[in-house]
Amino acid sequence: MVGVPRVVQGVKIVNPMGNEEMDPEAEQRLRRDIATGALNALQAEVKEPTLFDRHKA
Amino acid sequence: MSKKLRVVHYLNQFFGGLGGEEQAHRGPQIIDGPIGPGRAIQSRLAEKGEVVATAICGDDYIGERIDEAADEIVQLIRRYDPDVVIAGPAFEAGRYGVACGAICKKVQETLNIPAVTGMYGENPGVDLFHKDVYIVQTGDSVRTMDAAIAKMVNLAMKQAAGHKIGKPTEEGYFPRGILVNEESDRSGAARVVAMLLDKLKGRPFEPEVLQPTHYPVSPAPGIKDIGSSTIALVTDGGLVPAGNPDGIESKNATRFGGYGFKDIDSLAADDYDVNHSGYATVFTRQNPNRLIPVDAMREIEREKGIGKLHERFYSTTGVATRLEMARKMGRAIAAELKSEGVSGAILTST
Amino acid sequence: MRLELNIVQITKAQFADATAVRNGVLSVNRQELEDLVKQDTRLTDVDIELANPGDKCRIVNVADVIEPRARIANSGPDFPGAVGMQGTAGHGSTCVLRGAAVLINDYNIGGRQYQRPDEGIIDMWGPGAEIGPYGRTCNVVVLASPANGTSIDEYCVALKIAGLKTAVYLAKAGADLTPDEVEVYDIPSIRDTAGDMQDLPRVAYICQVFTNQRVPLPGDPVLYGHHIEKIVPTILHPNEVFDGAVTDPYRGYAATYVIQNHPMIKELYQNHGKTLHFAGVIISNAPNNAPEYERTANVAANLAKWILGVDGAVLTKIGGGAPELTMALTAQRCEELGIKTALALMHQGIDASEITLKASTVFSNVPQVDAMVSMGASTASPVLTLPPAEKVVGILDGSQMGAEIRRPASDIRGSFSQLGDSRLMAVRY
Repeated sequence: MVGVPRVVQGVKIVNPMGNEEMDPEAEQRLRRDIATGALNALQAEVKEPTLFDRHKA
Repeated sequence: MSKKLRVVHYLNQFFGGLGGEEQAHRGPQIIDGPIGPGRAIQSRLAEKGEVVATAICGDDYIGERIDEAADEIVQLIRRYDPDVVIAGPAFEAGRYGVACGAICKKVQETLNIPAVTGMYGENPGVDLFHKDVYIVQTGDSVRTMDAAIAKMVNLAMKQAAGHKIGKPTEEGYFPRGILVNEESDRSGAARVVAMLLDKLKGRPFEPEVLQPTHYPVSPAPGIKDIGSSTIALVTDGGLVPAGNPDGIESKNATRFGGYGFKDIDSLAADDYDVNHSGYATVFTRQNPNRLIPVDAMREIEREKGIGKLHERFYSTTGVATRLEMARKMGRAIAAELKSEGVSGAILTST
Repeated sequence: MRLELNIVQITKAQFADATAVRNGVLSVNRQELEDLVKQDTRLTDVDIELANPGDKCRIVNVADVIEPRARIANSGPDFPGAVGMQGTAGHGSTCVLRGAAVLINDYNIGGRQYQRPDEGIIDMWGPGAEIGPYGRTCNVVVLASPANGTSIDEYCVALKIAGLKTAVYLAKAGADLTPDEVEVYDIPSIRDTAGDMQDLPRVAYICQVFTNQRVPLPGDPVLYGHHIEKIVPTILHPNEVFDGAVTDPYRGYAATYVIQNHPMIKELYQNHGKTLHFAGVIISNAPNNAPEYERTANVAANLAKWILGVDGAVLTKIGGGAPELTMALTAQRCEELGIKTALALMHQGIDASEITLKASTVFSNVPQVDAMVSMGASTASPVLTLPPAEKVVGILDGSQMGAEIRRPASDIRGSFSQLGDSRLMAVRY
């Protein structure tokens, strides 16, 4: 809604790049997936605000 | 008998009768009494005031040296000992509008007297000066001169008399960016139910809150060679070094910080605080990588997924933070990152 | 469902040998009340303080404010699921001690874990009392500390329940009196009103109660004794909401007192049968992640459209940006289903560089979500000078708080409200 060109979905407000309900290794993989999704978004050409998925390993 | 208001009027070369574009280079001058649109001002003032002088300057002259020219003009105006200065109206003319805004601002700062001008919404002078100067809203052409003069004289007289200036909608000026809480005659609940009933019945209603205008940002082109790029991490989640050395506010932030983490594979909880009043910070305190994902990015860096992880992260607090402040900080952070050779940034927001 | 509130007016609170209400004076047997609170062994160092309007008393670290209320005769359990057994609220008769309030105070022990977005000061005199409602109520303050071996979470829940119990205990003292006033709240079931009031628009109230920006307190008795941080939107009869089924989350953005006197529900009741047909209340929480914003918005809008069958809905939020986003999405879904919406919100983000004539929201530029009422901007609060207090309640060393202090008006508990009782409106100059 706010017009940011590249957005990757994080997890939740209180834990954007993590999930305290997961065990540590799983959370580490999740963080890596979101970061990878972000890097993919940085490489993409966009014309308008676009929502990108996290990378699914 | 109350004192007659002494008014000095400012006009550009065209309205001041010197000529058109070919006279835009003319320097500042001042003459006794009103001319051109100043006569309409005098009419409006009637016996309550007198346009004692009119200052005139070419749009290009002032455009090329705004600050000095505004100073020069203020020095000319000072000699007439005015109570208030009226500039323009400039309607759509951009250089003229910027000149009017700059002169009014300078008058207020240097002579300590009120000033007022008028221009059309798209005049660049509005963006630049609406926070410092009362700018009445005019149409885009001289056909709206009378209405503009009426509003300018009204604000000039009110300001000079020290009267409270009404809302922008009442007095017809561009809002100056000041938000004030006032008491309505009814509770919020009463007003919202009444508004819903109007909407249901198809009656016109006056919303109290507008939808935002989000100025679109042109996306930067995608990064071509991520394997050799430097990527930086930024957050508005309030992550700061323990003790918050830069004193970043926990809401309505006006500051940001850049914090180095050279040769570190993962941010350690003990080294950081989370200072943000807009969400429960327990999880991000436990593990700062949940806001600034150094651990994940280091892995990717080792595997050559990126060229380099920039060794400073940037942080501020994004809750009840004024949008213009957020924009200002964003620009400053971007400028620093760019000067340090960073190609892309990942911003984690809460 | 028909509910009668028997209102007994209180003008003063005092300690005395017996707990009773007479001629507007609430007498409290301090020892008896302390003993009642101490029954919960999770609490220790129990203390009861009183503060009346006009006392030069400053109260801080208030975790919730509760109006003394007790169900009368066979109306059912008090605060069902929280204090009393499980049951239902909203029918029969309830005694209300109006002009009195119970405050629970956690010395900031709970505050450190469940921070409030603002300081929440209550001044019983001076400029603070003029702008906040709790400076004008006769307050009974319940203070306690966690007992040995009690976790902070357990302590907070125990304290909240102690506050609710105290509210019941005090109101019982007024239950046998002839009330000063009786308020009747009566809306029958949909089945019995289907044909009624056909010319009037059907209106629902969509109300957020808890925001997941905050960590929920496990065991917080928010809805019939349990928390709601994971619920999907659900429908309640308005009477249930304000008659004890719902309490404000611990250290929440509102207060149980405001929910008990719910301004939006009262306003809709006043209009019911005259300008609209009040069809029901849809309560929800505000999620903290994108897929759940959508889920909440979809479920709430569907309830409004297909179950309550309304023409219009009024919405409020509780909290900051994420709740505002959820509220806007919910309104958008309603509009897409043909339900007209109006929103009441408190400004948080503002853009001082804007030259629009009114302040705008940060979110929601959906064209049909255009009917919005402003309930003030806490960021635009003037700074008040609060005079030195003779007594400070709720903090172990009262010296700093008791001096003259300068605070934004929004720090006065209850001066701003997201539920509609405030008259404040943010205006652009």
